[in-house]
Amino acid sequence: MAIYELPEWTALGPALILAVTALALFAFDSISPRSTNRQLLAGTAVAGSLTSLGVAVWFTVAGVGTPTADGGNGVIDPTHGFVVDQLALYFMIIVAVVTALIVVASYDYLVDHAYQAEYYSLVILAATGMSLMAAADSLVTILIALELASLPSYALVAILKDNRGSVEAGLKYFLIGSLSSAIFIYGISLVYGATGHLELAAIAEVVSGETEAGSGHDITEMGGLLGLGILMLIGGFAFKTASVPFHFWAPEAYEGAPAPISAFLSSASKAAGFVVLFRVFTEAFPLGEIGAVIGFDWTVAFIVLAIVTMTLGNFAAATQDSVKRMLAYSSIGHAGYALIGLAGLTADGGELVMGAAMMHLLVYGFMNTGAFLFVALAEHWGVGRTFEDYNGLAAQAPVACAAMAVFMFSLAGIPPFGGFFSKYFLFVGALEAATASTAMLVVAAVLVINSALSLYYYSRLVKAIWIEDPPATRDRLAQPTGLYAAIIVAAVMTIVILPGFGPVVDAALDAAGAVVG
Amino acid sequence: MEGAFSYAPAIAAFPLVAFVVALVFGKWMPKKGAIAGIAATGASLVFSLWMLAAVASGETYHETLYEWTAGEAASEIGADTIGFSFGILIDPLAALMLVIVSLVAFLVHVFSLGYMNAEGETGLPRYYAGLGLFTFSMLSFVYADNLLMAFMFFELVGLCSFLLIGFWFRTRSAPSAAKKAFLVTRFGDYFFLLGVVAIAATFGTLQFAGDESFVAAAEAAIDDGGQLFGFDAETWVTITGLLVLGGVIGKSAQFPLHTWLPDAMEGPTTVSALIHAATMVAAGVYLVARMFGYYALSPTTLAIIAFIGGFTALFAATMGVVKDDVKQVLAYSTISQYGYMMLGLGVGGYVAGVFHLMNHAFFKALLFLGAGAVIVLMHHEQNMWKMGGLKDKAPVTYYTFLAGALALAGIIPFSGFWSKDEILYDALIVGLEEPLIMAAYAMGLLAVFFTGFYTFRMVFLTFHGEPRSEAAEDPHPVGWSIKLPLIVLGILAVVAGIANLAPVAKLANVDITFLEHWLDGEYGGIDEVTYSAYSELLAYETGVISSEQVTVLIAAGLSLLLAFSGAGLAWKLYSDPEPTAHKERLGSAGTVVEDNYYQDEYQVWLAEGVTLPLARVADRFDQTVIDGTVNGVSTASLFGSSWVKRIQTGIVTNYAALLIAGFIALLLGLGVYGGWF
Amino acid sequence: MIGVEYYVLLSMAVFCIGLVGVLTRRNALTFLMSVELMLNAANINLIAFAFYHGNLTGQVFALFTMALAAAEVAVGLGIILVLYRNFRDVDVTVPTTMRW
Repeated sequence: MAIYELPEWTALGPALILAVTALALFAFDSISPRSTNRQLLAGTAVAGSLTSLGVAVWFTVAGVGTPTADGGNGVIDPTHGFVVDQLALYFMIIVAVVTALIVVASYDYLVDHAYQAEYYSLVILAATGMSLMAAADSLVTILIALELASLPSYALVAILKDNRGSVEAGLKYFLIGSLSSAIFIYGISLVYGATGHLELAAIAEVVSGETEAGSGHDITEMGGLLGLGILMLIGGFAFKTASVPFHFWAPEAYEGAPAPISAFLSSASKAAGFVVLFRVFTEAFPLGEIGAVIGFDWTVAFIVLAIVTMTLGNFAAATQDSVKRMLAYSSIGHAGYALIGLAGLTADGGELVMGAAMMHLLVYGFMNTGAFLFVALAEHWGVGRTFEDYNGLAAQAPVACAAMAVFMFSLAGIPPFGGFFSKYFLFVGALEAATASTAMLVVAAVLVINSALSLYYYSRLVKAIWIEDPPATRDRLAQPTGLYAAIIVAAVMTIVILPGFGPVVDAALDAAGAVVG
Repeated sequence: MEGAFSYAPAIAAFPLVAFVVALVFGKWMPKKGAIAGIAATGASLVFSLWMLAAVASGETYHETLYEWTAGEAASEIGADTIGFSFGILIDPLAALMLVIVSLVAFLVHVFSLGYMNAEGETGLPRYYAGLGLFTFSMLSFVYADNLLMAFMFFELVGLCSFLLIGFWFRTRSAPSAAKKAFLVTRFGDYFFLLGVVAIAATFGTLQFAGDESFVAAAEAAIDDGGQLFGFDAETWVTITGLLVLGGVIGKSAQFPLHTWLPDAMEGPTTVSALIHAATMVAAGVYLVARMFGYYALSPTTLAIIAFIGGFTALFAATMGVVKDDVKQVLAYSTISQYGYMMLGLGVGGYVAGVFHLMNHAFFKALLFLGAGAVIVLMHHEQNMWKMGGLKDKAPVTYYTFLAGALALAGIIPFSGFWSKDEILYDALIVGLEEPLIMAAYAMGLLAVFFTGFYTFRMVFLTFHGEPRSEAAEDPHPVGWSIKLPLIVLGILAVVAGIANLAPVAKLANVDITFLEHWLDGEYGGIDEVTYSAYSELLAYETGVISSEQVTVLIAAGLSLLLAFSGAGLAWKLYSDPEPTAHKERLGSAGTVVEDNYYQDEYQVWLAEGVTLPLARVADRFDQTVIDGTVNGVSTASLFGSSWVKRIQTGIVTNYAALLIAGFIALLLGLGVYGGWF
Repeated sequence: MIGVEYYVLLSMAVFCIGLVGVLTRRNALTFLMSVELMLNAANINLIAFAFYHGNLTGQVFALFTMALAAAEVAVGLGIILVLYRNFRDVDVTVPTTMRW
């Protein structure tokens, strides 16, 4: 393919396109700060994210990251601190898809908003950060990309400046976020102290004893320091993925933020957090060797976190009154499901379980984004926030409500929707991993119990929408084009991902194999 | 004829299409779906005849069309894979049955034009859709090549009978009869299902024919003399065979699961004709014939089949004697006749059983359609005591009905005589060596008398004498669509016996037993499923009285004598212009018989006295323990939920504290686990 | 030469002071300052270890950290500003409209 003739830095194309788009929007905002030319702004943002998506898909098809032995173009190192492989491209696709969806939906959501250009440029800037997170392979670039994603997110959550909920959400998100990033950076400093390196590959070499740490000391002497550092890194990633115990910001931030931003954070931001998590732990701290240094394999930590996160998220979601808050907690629960992807890894395998987690994140990108966008639609209609307020919406907006039912059942993991398959693979993968560690049996059992519980609250919403009678006073509901389009695309993808699951499985397993194997 | 079989699936597909068409578009079609049904069954008939011709030219067909699933599974005899598939098996038996079923279904559809359309029934699309699905199910059942597929269509047949018996669902009795039919046959099918599972688990295959068949596997297992599930191989084959037989007894209305069939008369008479002649009831006996090789391996099962058959034949015939409703009489005659078939198969008379199945299909369809015609004539009066004198007013109906009655009663030379005589002859020669079969034979023989009696009682009361009601004096005219099927079937009832004139062949020593040759695969067949293959498996000794010819004469003479005396008694009692009831003469025995030997009563008692209390206990267990656990779990979850979400206090400083606490807990836990301290 | 462990002890002390500040102070600005303290603790580590390992990576990273801290403060001050506008207070425990 012609791709080899491109300069290597173009491998970061998907992220660079987003960056350029963000800067273009920024420039536009500087020139004409009061502009409300929504078509132009949203159009630019959509074009940027779709181009990014197209390029990422093109690279995947062209075989970037596929080992050259299999006829691909191999892993590309565009510049120091970044790597473009199948894993990176897979998650760049997720980020770009979610960004495109929520930008389209925002077109209607932001109808009377004063800061159009700011909003779009911040969204695209955050997306750039997430896209870069997928490709970062040094703790420096990881930190910068992570903050590039986080800082615009804080502002986006609080962007409804006169809305107390939005401001409160932004404050909590920011405070917990800054605390977490402090812990994260401190963790990086400790890892650096123990190994003398910040690049993942170099860290791995020191950990496995292939090279000496910078100062020439024996790495095992620094085991405690390294262990503490690793735990602090976990903390930083747990914040990004909204996992226990760093999840406290999530319910409020998702509830208070504008609904498209909730969708963005709970889908794309979470996925980006997971890709870094996957990359750092599989590349820098190889299983088996790390145990000799710090005394235990980090999978133990993820087993505990996965169990606690799933349980807390789903249990807290069960009795919520506000739909958005229910989705927020369910998002925490899904982070727990995805954590199984790391918990189930073993020294010499685990592509299946990690691939399953990645599939789940992709499917989740559609179904959860769709669900939050439905909430955005409901906010656009102004029907209210609680389950009761949603009663009987199906009578007035059957298409959107059918899509919502699809999202709910898919989130609950009911066939024939995409969510069933990814969860099923997770379950199978967890059982497979149970041959190495019996604790994974507990994880699998907790997964099943929590799925059963989640069906309760998801179907409660479907019941409210479809079965309950609408209140007599509700006005006719508008049908905003952008929101509808985004919701329908998400629903269609949630369904058609089923027949198309073969390539997704292959892509996810290849990507997982690339880092695990 | 090579290509003929590639069209085999179409035989069943046509009625299925008719089902869909009638259901979806029936409302807007002329004749409300009848045309589609007639066309489809007509096409099925043509294709079935083509299959018959193909088989006659020496071809057979055995093909797996679709595999549901296949996988590794260790079966009891050591096969390591098992597959569940759909396939088609067309051998002489299946080809013959296909023709019978599609012919009867076709005629029933034609008859329905006169019986249902002309009478202005509502819900006709539903009716024709039901008929289509019924025919589809039965045809698929007939050429199923494995027991699982057979079971599935067996069930579908049961479902269709439920739908059609309950066609007039606004009456009180029809839905109840439909439910009864469904439940009683389901009860038998439950054992059938167990049998299917047992056979699959034992032999790892459910094929009827071929090297991979369970019959061959069972034969090999018995020859090995090994143990299956802790039993002798033969005992295990008996057990599984009996389990499958449960379904047969239910569907073919054998004692004690025959109780649904008389009630099933609540459906339209055309449906009764279909159920009795070609589909539902025939399915049971056909299944025995289909897997006859399996039963042949187990003399015990065969003896049980024979005994149940003989007993049912007599038992049902006695009940038919006292009924007043023309359809009721026919219903009991059906039970009785299927008893004969079971008797025939049970004594190893495979050809005789199948022969009677065929003849019975023709004459019973004829009789039911005749009864339907009578009901139309009588403005929907079914009580025979209100009829009379129809002989002159409806000659076509009368003479065709008479032909059917003569066949049913077993009067020479009508078709029923030949097949019934062959069954009784086969039973007699085995009975001479086996006392139990002799008892079955005796019951079957005695039933001939009752058959002759109730058949002619019915004929005399319905057609002879003076009209006994206004309707009978001024019958409603019937059209060609009613007469045509009657004539076709009437001819068949008269001549179908030619197919296998076994007594004549034995006495005159000429080779005219065509059906036997047919079923023996002499024209074309599959090796393991032929009459002679079955005969080799049979363990029966046969005896003769002095010589074969004498035995033939004795058997035929006895049954003819009894048939004539039964008919004669009926003539004596009921041929008056104004016949009187003679039921009182039977005294208390009459009451018992009229109440069907209290079969319904004891079954209801079983249900209410035994099953219901058990069900209540189970229900209480479910309500308290199971539901209690489930509700407890849900309450605990929701309580846990309301507790868990309190962690989220809303105060961001608390979050920071909890976050740090959680982190330290993780640190301490892992530190202890990793041995840092 | 002072051993690297003393720097680590110092940085941990600073980190803990920052942490205590985060947990006890209710003023949003003080909260922010405490977080800055924790970041600086990391910087102490990075520079000490850079010296210890004899490479510059840590020092460069510390520069990045400072830049990030500045950006964070900028965003944080913006949020605190709208907080004050909506709640007439900069006490972080006041906004509790969303909980449970």
